[in-house]
Amino acid sequence: MVMAANKPRSGSFSRNFGAASSSVPSIPGLKHGPNGTMLLSSGIPDLDKILGGGLALGSLVVVTEDPEAPHHMLLLRNFMSQGLVHRQPLIYASPASDPRGFLGTLPSPMVSKDEKSRVHETEQEKGLRIAWQYKKYIGEHTSESHRGGKSEYCNDFDLRKPLERHFFSGKQIDCVSLKESADLGAFHERCSSFLSQANQNNGNITGGRIAIQSLCSPQCEYSNREWEMLSFVRSLKSVVRLSNAVAVVTFSPSLVSTTFSIRLQHLADTLVSVKAIPDEDKELAKLLTGYQDMVGLLSVHKVARFNTQVPAILETTTFSMKLQKRRSLVLECINQAPVDGATGSSYGSSGSCSGSSKTGSFDF
Amino acid sequence: MAEWICRTLRDGGLEGEHAPALTINDTITCSLGSFVFDHILSQLSSFIHSQKSQSSGIVLVAFSRSPLYYEQLLKSKGYNVSASTWFKVLDCYTDPLGWKSKLANSGIIANDSLGSSVTAKLCKNVKDLDEVSEMLRHASVSSVASLLSELRSHGQVSSLFWLIHSDLHETRATAALEYISSMKATVIVQPMDGLRGNSACLSLMENNLKRGKFNVHVKRRNGRVKTMVEELYVENSTINFAPFSTEGEVISQSLVPKVQFNLQLSEKEQNDRAKVILPFEHQGDGKNIQIYDGRKSLNESKGDSEQTCLEKEDSGRGEIIYFRDSDDEMPDSDEDPDDDLDI
Repeated sequence: MVMAANKPRSGSFSRNFGAASSSVPSIPGLKHGPNGTMLLSSGIPDLDKILGGGLALGSLVVVTEDPEAPHHMLLLRNFMSQGLVHRQPLIYASPASDPRGFLGTLPSPMVSKDEKSRVHETEQEKGLRIAWQYKKYIGEHTSESHRGGKSEYCNDFDLRKPLERHFFSGKQIDCVSLKESADLGAFHERCSSFLSQANQNNGNITGGRIAIQSLCSPQCEYSNREWEMLSFVRSLKSVVRLSNAVAVVTFSPSLVSTTFSIRLQHLADTLVSVKAIPDEDKELAKLLTGYQDMVGLLSVHKVARFNTQVPAILETTTFSMKLQKRRSLVLECINQAPVDGATGSSYGSSGSCSGSSKTGSFDF
Repeated sequence: MAEWICRTLRDGGLEGEHAPALTINDTITCSLGSFVFDHILSQLSSFIHSQKSQSSGIVLVAFSRSPLYYEQLLKSKGYNVSASTWFKVLDCYTDPLGWKSKLANSGIIANDSLGSSVTAKLCKNVKDLDEVSEMLRHASVSSVASLLSELRSHGQVSSLFWLIHSDLHETRATAALEYISSMKATVIVQPMDGLRGNSACLSLMENNLKRGKFNVHVKRRNGRVKTMVEELYVENSTINFAPFSTEGEVISQSLVPKVQFNLQLSEKEQNDRAKVILPFEHQGDGKNIQIYDGRKSLNESKGDSEQTCLEKEDSGRGEIIYFRDSDDEMPDSDEDPDDDLDI
């Protein structure tokens, strides 16, 4: 499958991944990615599309938070729910005293009312006669969205409904409170043992998930020891790279020094940042269409690429986060009026809502 | 808008959510934060006194001002607090380091005493922390932050607020506290307006001691940030808030990525564009331009067409002699110019 959004087509030949994957029994929750990688879903269908199919096994995803908005929690919730739905082992760490409480807020997969309507569509389309050279486009769109069975690669999550109890019954769900530990060494031990356990799962690859929320939160004692946090992330990255897991780490750049923040962003294989948007801002309402439904902005700065030297260049890097019917998270390209030209910005440093020391940002 | 804050603090948080927390920030240039603190305190007391709020008491942790000050403040507003059950002051002012009672422990952190007292509270209450700056002097950022977040998630605390002087600390400490809070109120200097006659007689320092700009950021549940601005005036140790008269603040569009091309022209560009002389006879401004056609003698047309001829001449390097062909044509000619093609 070639992702039309990411690569410009150079000709009408396209690599037929379908043939390759049929020889290997498909594992629910994982799919083959480009260059021999395996991908697992982030839980948000739009984000998977943007990242080229999903998150590559062995990659480290860093999400930079905006201290004024809880959007990183949305991303984490979807990520964790998707893992539980696919019965993938999960370890979750947060600075709260009782991280288990967060599991209660995980969303449930959407009921398949929409799926039925989509099935209708394809049946109608079969009545159309589509020229052979265009069939590959149609097939690409529909084959991803529904497989007919229960095991979809990426579910649409309903944020209003909590995840059902039976998903939590797996043994491999672990919650760690980062506040308790005086240093990160103990937590690192736990991660390593978690990963080795996940790898040994009867020889089958299931894909493990590590979710670390707000690593630099001020409540934790180690939060002023930046080198310790940095070396933790570095060793986590190396351990994750050798395993079949994906680690998602969120942190807020405002709580740490700039050099630390930049170093951590460089360590990431995939780098995503979320930003808050001001409420009832007439300027933005004029500038952006669909401002009323937006809850925030998501920017993709880096996409993990393994086994290749070719970088992934996205058409756009900033997307708006909207809650459709207050239920599911969708990411859309921003439609905006062009403004005074300026060169592109570096990772996460331009224009945050709360940056009072940064020039050119909102005058708060 | 200050009323809005007070109401939010009064209402507390929803079930299962952390309690709303307000950080009041000020700096040395405009140090009216303590007035704001007192104002909010008195407002909340009035709510509780008149049973309008869901919380049933205030616990005040006093670091930089003595408890007596607060009693007098509330007494002046009309609430007798010395005998009341709903107002308690934890006195960390007189003996912050606990020298008197705990001589054995070196370097006591105020948190210990606070932590134990929190669990002993039986009623829902609002907590105020006067001068977290003082607390930060004695304790590390992480312990203060953990205490505050614990308070927020404590079932019996309905809301809390604190005052900090942001220029006394590293930016990291202030950022950490703002990270934990759900609302942030900043008192900043109101630039003096030269046009206003009344304020002309105030010196700069007087100005800063009496007036300020009150910015509030609120983190809303849906992830958006609400900002509000008001002016504040201090008169006779009471504080007044007034809606802000803005002179057109320009909010730069820095959140959205800048696109490389620009379809709008700036002022200067528009003016320049209007001045460009087009190589046509009509410039679109109603006047006909006479292009020198070489037929009239130079002396006649010098006055008229001097300006227009400039475009046809290079400066001092040569002359372009232009003969207009259009005069040769008959205006009503039916000839088709293609007729003389021999196909």
